[in-house]
Amino acid sequence: MQKNTVLEFNHVDIIRANDVVIHDASFTINQGDYVGIVGPNGGGKTTLLLAIFGSLPIKNGSIRLFSQKIQTFTDWHRIAYVPQGAIYFDTNFPLTVTELVGLGRITRGKIGRPLKKTDWTAVNECLDLMGISDIGKKRIGSLSGGQKQRMFIAKALVRNPEILILDEPVAGIDATGLENFYKLLSDLNLKKNLTILIVSHDLSSVFCRMTKLLCVNRKVYMSNITREIDPNIVLKKVYGEHFHFVFHDHECKGGFHHD
Amino acid sequence: MIETIFNDIAMLLSYQFFQHALIGGVISALATSWIGLFLILRHESMISDGIAHTAFGGIALGLLLGINPLFTALAISIIAVLGISYMRKKGIAKSDAAIAVMLALGFSTGLIIISISGGFNVEIFSYLFGSILTIDQTDLLIVSLLGLASICFFGFFYKELLSITFDEESAKITGIPVNYFSFTFNILVAFTIALSIKVIGVILVVALMVLPGLSALQLKRSFRGTMVITVCFSILSIIIGILLSAVYNVATSGVIVFTAAGIFLLAALYRKARDHL
Repeated sequence: MQKNTVLEFNHVDIIRANDVVIHDASFTINQGDYVGIVGPNGGGKTTLLLAIFGSLPIKNGSIRLFSQKIQTFTDWHRIAYVPQGAIYFDTNFPLTVTELVGLGRITRGKIGRPLKKTDWTAVNECLDLMGISDIGKKRIGSLSGGQKQRMFIAKALVRNPEILILDEPVAGIDATGLENFYKLLSDLNLKKNLTILIVSHDLSSVFCRMTKLLCVNRKVYMSNITREIDPNIVLKKVYGEHFHFVFHDHECKGGFHHD
Repeated sequence: MIETIFNDIAMLLSYQFFQHALIGGVISALATSWIGLFLILRHESMISDGIAHTAFGGIALGLLLGINPLFTALAISIIAVLGISYMRKKGIAKSDAAIAVMLALGFSTGLIIISISGGFNVEIFSYLFGSILTIDQTDLLIVSLLGLASICFFGFFYKELLSITFDEESAKITGIPVNYFSFTFNILVAFTIALSIKVIGVILVVALMVLPGLSALQLKRSFRGTMVITVCFSILSIIIGILLSAVYNVATSGVIVFTAAGIFLLAALYRKARDHL
């Protein structure tokens, strides 16, 4: 089966603060891919994400979203983003979970238009999907870390995106919450054929759950994740020759994604 | 005694000057409450104090030139907000320092103009401390137009503003034109301060902007609830202020701010009591 390409980088240099942060990036992401983005701090992971949103200038090469050039791309509702450290907000901010998720329905084409009944139906569906419909009326500041994370994913999903991008979403979640969180993302990926890109330092989870690996450190390397491929070959390219990651299948509590 | 107060109020309500004062007061309450709540959430409360003091220079200029001082105050307020955001954006000064610069510049200009012309000391007082009971038809028209502009903008774009205030970076990525909204918001801050000068005077504008929103935040409601409560607290403070000051012949702005501060105290106590239960 021919898979649809949803995101394509072709020899791209990304510039941030007059500096080329990512050099000559080329990779392709297809519909339904579950991509773990890894690499050392300061290597340019967030920069790469911002470039996908057209927030940073690129030099050379091209970025295509759904086969359209990023410079002329307008269907931004097809992509959703949960930023790094989203859960560390001002806990006194006067919003309920439902109100915050509702803000996710605002898109470029709908500025100034009030939210309609269909919007609120979508909000309720997403709260249901994330298993947080019972806390819809709660203030966002009173939630636990795991609940906050689910809320932000609901806010992202309420746009009905085809690509979901998460930047280090697991900071501040405990071990049990973490397992549930990854399970939830796997379900979304499998059942809704949602393309997911996730920046993570949790290499075990990346190898257990995800189908592709994107290693970023100034340069970008992409690899499929299968039993046959030794993760260290590609990880060493970004973490250095002395890096060694010991990975055992049996660590994957939820089962290896290929099983 | 209560009967006499009610009789006094009933009589006052039949006077046109008093009706004008109430209308102007309520419009000002509506405009300041939403701007104030957003300023608190953006951690920029003191910008209203800075702009109001800068506007004092504009008032003095208006009186000197024989132009309605609300116009000159509005012009200077707009220049001040633009100046503050320019200094911030260019990295010349952080928010609080930029506000201090504008405040100093505007207020000192005002003082120089007053001392040169000497003659309008009494009138300047009415702008320093407000004089809602003497609001004339032109002023009421200016207040209404500025207030209407501010309230309409809020009505159409509150969710975009909320999204920007909560997380600017995400809002940008969502597709909200953040720079455009921030610019318009700043202009509306200037509008709101200019229209509040008649009601409360430049010195106490910050109280009217901040106290109702801060009181409402103590009650920990939804955004919608917080907004409604902010507006109610603001209108309540202004109406009580106008009524009591007219009946007892004391400074209106003093009573308005005293009431707003009293509400804040009660709200803070309520929060403390609830947190301990």
